[in-house]
Amino acid sequence: MKGTLHPITKYLNETTEIFKSLGFDIFEGPEVDTEWYNFDSLNVAANHPARDVQDTFWLTDGRLLRTQTSNGQVRYGETHKPPIRAIFPGNVFRNEATDAKHETTFVQLEGLYIDKDVKVGHLFWILEEFFKKVYGDDIKIRFRPHHFPYTEPSFEVDVEYRGKWFELLGAGMIHPVVIKNMGLDPEIYSGFAFGLGIDRLVMLKYNIEDIRNLRSGDLRFLKQFN
Amino acid sequence: MQVLKSWLKDYVDIKLSDEELVEQLNLTGTAVEGVSYSFSDKIVVGQIKEINPHPNADRLQVAKVFNGQEDLQIVCGAPNIAVGQKVPLALIGAKFADFEIKKAELRGIESFGMMCSERELGLGDSHGGIKVLPEDYEVGKKLIDYISSDTVFEIEITPNRGDCLSHLGVAREVAATTGESIKVPEKIVLNEIKNNLIDVEVEAKDLCSNYNAILIKNVKVGSSPDWLIKRLNSLGLKSINNIVDVTNYILFDWGQPLHAFDAKKIVDQKIIVRRAGEFEKVKTLDGQDRSIPENSLVIADKDKIIAIAGVMGAANSEVDSSTTDIIIESAEFDSASIRLTSKTLNLSTDASYRFERGIDSGHVSESARYAAKMIQEIAGGEIVDVKISESKIETRSIKVEYQKINNLLGLDLSENEINSILTRLGFVCNANLAIVPTWRHDIAIWQDLAEEVGRIYGYGKIKPIALEVINCEFDNDFTKKEKLKNELANIGFCETVNYVFLSASDLQTNKIESSDLLEIKNPMQNENKYLRNSLVSGLLKNVAKNPSFDPVLLFEIGHVFDKSSEEVNLGIIASGKDAKNKIQEAKELINSLLKKPLDINIIELNRDELTRYKIRKAVTYIIEIDLTQILTNLVVTKDTDLRLNKTVSNYKQISKYPPVVRDFAFVVDREINSEDIKKHILDFSQDILLVDLFDEFSSDKLGQNKKSLAFHIYFQDLNKALTDVEAELKIKPLIEEIVKKFKAELRG
Repeated sequence: MKGTLHPITKYLNETTEIFKSLGFDIFEGPEVDTEWYNFDSLNVAANHPARDVQDTFWLTDGRLLRTQTSNGQVRYGETHKPPIRAIFPGNVFRNEATDAKHETTFVQLEGLYIDKDVKVGHLFWILEEFFKKVYGDDIKIRFRPHHFPYTEPSFEVDVEYRGKWFELLGAGMIHPVVIKNMGLDPEIYSGFAFGLGIDRLVMLKYNIEDIRNLRSGDLRFLKQFN
Repeated sequence: MQVLKSWLKDYVDIKLSDEELVEQLNLTGTAVEGVSYSFSDKIVVGQIKEINPHPNADRLQVAKVFNGQEDLQIVCGAPNIAVGQKVPLALIGAKFADFEIKKAELRGIESFGMMCSERELGLGDSHGGIKVLPEDYEVGKKLIDYISSDTVFEIEITPNRGDCLSHLGVAREVAATTGESIKVPEKIVLNEIKNNLIDVEVEAKDLCSNYNAILIKNVKVGSSPDWLIKRLNSLGLKSINNIVDVTNYILFDWGQPLHAFDAKKIVDQKIIVRRAGEFEKVKTLDGQDRSIPENSLVIADKDKIIAIAGVMGAANSEVDSSTTDIIIESAEFDSASIRLTSKTLNLSTDASYRFERGIDSGHVSESARYAAKMIQEIAGGEIVDVKISESKIETRSIKVEYQKINNLLGLDLSENEINSILTRLGFVCNANLAIVPTWRHDIAIWQDLAEEVGRIYGYGKIKPIALEVINCEFDNDFTKKEKLKNELANIGFCETVNYVFLSASDLQTNKIESSDLLEIKNPMQNENKYLRNSLVSGLLKNVAKNPSFDPVLLFEIGHVFDKSSEEVNLGIIASGKDAKNKIQEAKELINSLLKKPLDINIIELNRDELTRYKIRKAVTYIIEIDLTQILTNLVVTKDTDLRLNKTVSNYKQISKYPPVVRDFAFVVDREINSEDIKKHILDFSQDILLVDLFDEFSSDKLGQNKKSLAFHIYFQDLNKALTDVEAELKIKPLIEEIVKKFKAELRG
């Protein structure tokens, strides 16, 4: 007789509450945006192979369905003065063929922190705090070098869960070009950003066999989460 | 990309075990996705216990082979097996280059593995019999514990590190990571004779900064030596001929893509590097006729195009068995140009992949000499001409901002320590400047140097630094929206999430004009052609998809799009039993949360519409509202914690087949918690997918202190459509269990 919330909503609420308690604002940007907000402002150059990694849904009018929620970050940075702390939940899209493990639509949660003299250690701290609150104090996490055009240095963050290491999120110190594109002076301000895929975490948590179940509208699925 | 451990060892000593090396590489930024062996680790030392002739085949025998735990029956055709021998036994699941061991039946007798020859193990050419192992090998142990099998690392290289797309490149990373020195290849000196036999003219100097051509006369085109074939095969590449194999080898060895032309097929032996004109065509080496996009970089002679530069050579200048004179090309081409050409032609090759990501600008000529020397050694011939067209190689220097680097990383490294890390990576440090190695195109700013220092020093050594937590009450739409969802769930609606896409057939069903909608340019799937301008079609599809549920009560909050704007809408649907009351309840709920009530329109679908959407239920009602109308109008309440209780349900997989639903009502004491009964039913059988409480009431008519709980119980089978009869069989024991456990009474 009681209804249910979608497992993604429930998981997202858990995670946003944690960041709220750490002083973060929550901002949702548009799902359709321009090339500038999705790629160029984020230092993803027009001819760079990094654009290949994501298969993009281009619209006939030249815009696109965003491939990450970082468009919200740039928009937020343009309209807010530092210090900035905010998280950006929302749908992101990949132009792929769907199957049990591949989808066109995901929910991502990104975070942004900009201030004077922000260090790598601050990023490590925030992420540790977050994972401790989700998984408990003896959670183990590690940071591996990676590459994103919008951060330098960049990291992939692994969490040890049920005896295995899982790559759960990407993060990094915001590239000075991106800070500049937000209208801020990179000589004065620095910051970090991170992003995690909520769908994947939900699938892992409940052991869901087919990612398409999440958007199937099937009550045999939805009603299991109360 | 695959790299062989033995090949890496040409350039760097590896003293670590495979596991240690993988961990080090992962932690310093070279992601190792997988490790395999040139022969499978599912090959063990077996011992032949018994041999009997095969009843149905003269040339086969049936052996009993002990694998350390049990005797396996193995059918074998080898003439040299004998009882007592220790042999390499490939178990079920062992993978070879082009097959995998499975349980097999050979002429009517089952075989549970395979005994291996030397050739099958990649250890030699002998295939006439089983490789007999030394006496002292312990039965049951993996063969790789005794015979070193080359380790193959599957490495994932990020787009900024084109320099790692070769064994030399990865070896550099191994050296920097482990502290070993790189064994720099000896400089190659050729006895070059400069004649005027070939000529090179680079017209498109902006797209080709360096072009080397070496003419070798009188080569013998034939097969390659074994060591070369083996290395190429280990990477999954086929051997073609000794000339082409050398060019492929050097691509994976040093990362320089090379090409070999049949010199006699080039007019006047003059090579022109230019842009393609408007309508040029060429047949490439793969046999395909291609129209070259205008302005692509091409290699040509006076009359024709002989290669799509950096992508693929043309068939017209191919090296074949009749070739006697070859021209080796080693060049550097503009990344963006190669990428554009490759994308437009939808043709990606090992060569184009590397040019796109940047090759070693300082190794182009050396690579040409390397190729020439190797070809001479393998195929004979004399090097008679070398032509180089080269723009000056710029050395780039970056200021090493020691303080900023330390500050960003939160470390306190001395200038020497920082310089030493950079030097290990191939930078040359001088005063406060670092000269960037010619193979690194990703280093431009001091933050790039900070990353190099941080990753080699070890991110594990960077301590977390606490941030000051601001107690800030942000008033944001997200929290308001989530509270609204909670309220709707409380009155019985389930939250659904649908795709933002509409297909052409969706448009038809919903009678929507495509001119109103935003359209996707090149969707991979037809379902993704348009963007929805309303939540309605998704909700209706959801109802049609849930025939086993009555009523269906759903809501969705999601983005909708049209040519002028993007909005966020709330959609609510009620279909089936009591739908009218439920949708009314939803409308009243929303208005109860607002400062000023909204005029909310409830739409009832007519019979025709219901048929079009394939909804079988009697009635369906929909509400759709622009969410901003609600959010700006919401009564401000104290910010509550959105986290709900932590009970995690044990999720059960949904069957592809429809469920069988049965309703049961139990009379129990009022203290009994319906959740406990629900959990108990779910745990009772894997075939019970869902338990839905749909009615609960107390009445003394039921007995003193009693209440009635009514459940829909959904039975399913993962592998087939459950029949009513089968479901009935499961029900009786379930009811008995509930009655016993909760002292319940089943209501008629």
